[in-house]
Amino acid sequence: MATTLEQQKPAEPMLKQDICIMIGGQGGDGTLTVVNLLGSCFRNIGLNVYDARNVLSRIRGGHADGVIRASTEQVLSTGDQVDVLVAFDEEAVQAAVNELAPDASIIFDSSKGQLSEKFGGMGLRVVNAPLGNMAASKLRRNIFKNTIAFAILGRLLGLEDDLLIEVLRSRYERRGKEALDANMQALSLGSDLAKQNNIRSIYKIPHSEKSNKILATGNEAVAYGFLVGGGRFFVGYPITPATDIMEWLAPRISKLGGVVKQAEDELAVINMGIGAAYAGARVMVATSGPGQSLMTEGVGHAGEAELPIVVVECQRVGPSTGEPTKNEQSDLNHVVYGSHGEFPRLVIAPGSAAECFQLTVDALNLAETYQLPVFLLLDQALCQNSESILPFNLKSIKVERGKLLSQSDLEKIQTYKRYQFSEDGISPRSVPSLEGGQSQVTGNEHNEYGLTSVDTTNRLRMMSKRMKKVELAKNELPRGNNFGRKDAKIGIIGFGSTLGPILESMEQLKSKNIGVRFQQIRTIFPLLVEDLIEFSDPLDKIFVVENNYQGQLAKMIRSALGRNERIESITKFDGTSFKPREITNAISTSIQGKLEMGV
Amino acid sequence: MAQTTVKIYTPTTPIWCPGCGDFGVLASLKKALSDLQIKSKDTVIVGGIGCSGSIHNNLECYGIHSLHGRLLPTAVGVKLANPQLTVIAAGGDGDGYAIGAGHFLHTLKKNPSIIYIVMQNGTYGLTKGQPSPTAQVGYEGNVDLPFDAILTALSIPSTTFIARGFSANQAQLTDLMKKAISHSNSNEGMGFLEVLSPCVTYNDTYKEWREQVYDLSTEKDYNPHNRLLAFTRVSEITNQGKIPTGLVYSGRVKSLEENTLSKEKGPLALQDISLESNLPKYEQILNDFR
Ligand SMILES: Cc1ncc(C[n+]2csc(CCOP(=O)(O)OP(=O)(O)O)c2C)c(N)n1
Ligand code: SF4
Ligand SMILES: [Mg+2]
Repeated sequence: MATTLEQQKPAEPMLKQDICIMIGGQGGDGTLTVVNLLGSCFRNIGLNVYDARNVLSRIRGGHADGVIRASTEQVLSTGDQVDVLVAFDEEAVQAAVNELAPDASIIFDSSKGQLSEKFGGMGLRVVNAPLGNMAASKLRRNIFKNTIAFAILGRLLGLEDDLLIEVLRSRYERRGKEALDANMQALSLGSDLAKQNNIRSIYKIPHSEKSNKILATGNEAVAYGFLVGGGRFFVGYPITPATDIMEWLAPRISKLGGVVKQAEDELAVINMGIGAAYAGARVMVATSGPGQSLMTEGVGHAGEAELPIVVVECQRVGPSTGEPTKNEQSDLNHVVYGSHGEFPRLVIAPGSAAECFQLTVDALNLAETYQLPVFLLLDQALCQNSESILPFNLKSIKVERGKLLSQSDLEKIQTYKRYQFSEDGISPRSVPSLEGGQSQVTGNEHNEYGLTSVDTTNRLRMMSKRMKKVELAKNELPRGNNFGRKDAKIGIIGFGSTLGPILESMEQLKSKNIGVRFQQIRTIFPLLVEDLIEFSDPLDKIFVVENNYQGQLAKMIRSALGRNERIESITKFDGTSFKPREITNAISTSIQGKLEMGV
Repeated sequence: MAQTTVKIYTPTTPIWCPGCGDFGVLASLKKALSDLQIKSKDTVIVGGIGCSGSIHNNLECYGIHSLHGRLLPTAVGVKLANPQLTVIAAGGDGDGYAIGAGHFLHTLKKNPSIIYIVMQNGTYGLTKGQPSPTAQVGYEGNVDLPFDAILTALSIPSTTFIARGFSANQAQLTDLMKKAISHSNSNEGMGFLEVLSPCVTYNDTYKEWREQVYDLSTEKDYNPHNRLLAFTRVSEITNQGKIPTGLVYSGRVKSLEENTLSKEKGPLALQDISLESNLPKYEQILNDFR
């Protein structure tokens, strides 16, 4: 079989401080393996990485791709453009075509024929290589095409052979000699192919010492934060994109004497969590929208019964089954307003893996201090994309258990009442096995002892006792992060995974001489209105950026601030994250329009 | 009685209609706990929602009132967090066999060492007399054959204790309760006890049930350790229009805690979770991110 390779427009290696590579094919093609291998290469030469996976909710087949960006700076988005695409089929090229840089390179698996003419004439550099055929004929298995592609990619990016070998070895060594040998063979097949066909490095990637940075997804950071925050009981039911949390915890929590339990459904999840929290364990549950719908009654129950529990809501495209693997931020209303009746709750939203760690610990402390359910609101991109970050700082961690009683505390009490009225609305909490703390805990309205009551005076007092805990908690809730110029007249508000794209968009706007300020909100409920006022007062225009149709956050901010005319929504709900340029364009178009109209 | 000087709540008088079968359940439960000398500080009653699901208010111990149908997962959570506790879930047949039916099956399957008492009255008492899953054909328009929880439990391979009592037979009921509690407190798994507990207001079955109950312990040959024979015999008796009572089955399958919990660390609810005491382990796990 003749190998046809051609390389159009050879160029001198170009220094790239920031490069983005996409690997696309069918599910099961091993695209994500290439992403992982590249990630290790980049990290070994001291770069920051950020990667995102776009897969379908099925195990084999269907278009799947992974994107990895490497940069000398910290980045929290995949950016605007793909510089290099590895495509195992034409569908992968089609899927990427709008994201390709004008001078992008494509390594195309030409096993079934060369890349069709329609992609010619776009200025793209195309390398046609029969990756699949070569893997099948030389190594008997099509799957090795990903390692062959990795080798060619390494050449294109000017990465040293030693680096590729080292990375491949550390990945496959654990999987036995056979796997390692076959992959090493595939690697040399790929580099021979590249040599024979005179594929030269197009890019020059800066190298420095390997940093001490770690790689984490939001989900992993939440899971680790849970352990370090003293979490010892996790209960879940598999659901994308939350399952990773359970799977990460399962082999690790047992080392600390804790338990991960998979329950029969989310109704069991939340109620099992409530039972364990009642008994004194630090508890977290995690789910996505459909599971949250089932848990809603339970969350209200925890609110009424004043039990501490952390609920991680990993948003995906909804409603119903929606798009399980795709990104959206459309459950805000659900976690803020969901449930019958009124009860105290907190909704906290981290924007990066580092924040996922810290805010999980905070959420555990808040739940126990204020004896209420706390939502940690994530979105698919934040849950599953990986970031290079500094190692989690353990020294800053404190475990705060609020008014949890010990046996000796109880001895000092004359009469124990689980729901005792107190100045701050928080009552001392006893747990089973303590003598003298025997009491009733219930979701029925109750008196101070936890016995059912429909007395009107009691109802008024109990309601305000519970509800005022939210006010009280305000001082301790994660405040927004402010970025950008203080004197700017234009503001952006966002939360969750829009953090990265917004930060990059700010740079783009700056180069267009549009100065902006940005507040990344980290407490969605209750909104920290004073901070919002301080942020927005000097602004003429505020853009609220979010991944949903209705502009849910914008509506909440409008109802908290008024100032309707100044607030404009920038929304996206196609299942993908914002690209920085999309935010830049939306803002500059809006402002330009106003300028032209002389407003 | 509490051993300290701390004053705690006074259990309330039951809210039930005079003559309600649940009084008999409460009396037996109190007697069983006191005969077995189980400390009130270590006892947790998990109530369901229904007339029956107010029983936790009538005893002096720890109590948690769950949502309708969710008493079993709640009880499992309590038990996993602190296996040293005596955890007793108690609720109605609607609560357990209708809205909570999924948990009923799965909790039997998990075999946690908790006690589960179902007050079976063939109706939804609290919502004023709609047919429950155990309602007879013809009761308030019910057309379905009644659900048989005992046969269902027998058909799940991991059940370890199945019994049925009658609130009007205190001696038998107290004995079964003690057996169920002892079973669970030896960490041998779930003690499931269905109690025929008539609703005098909406489904007064005292008269029929007095005639129908059939005490398995009166049968010399009945072997409660043979699942297959138990299933056959219980089916036969039921088909004859009688209601088998007594210890139906007990066997040995590893309990949920045996399968799940670390033995060295003690109850996870009571562990030292401060950063200082766990730092070396946390640092070790941090390496997984490198
Ligand atoms: C989710 C939900 N649905 C419905 C109800 C209303 N409800 C309260 S008690 C009950 C039935 C109780 O019947 P059972 O469990 O047999 O208890 P009993 O009153 O007969 O002891 C129902 C339907 C509820 N509390 N929650
Ligand atoms: S309505 Fe029936 S079940 Fe409820 S208390 Fe009265 S007799 Fe008992
Ligand atoms: Mg009933």
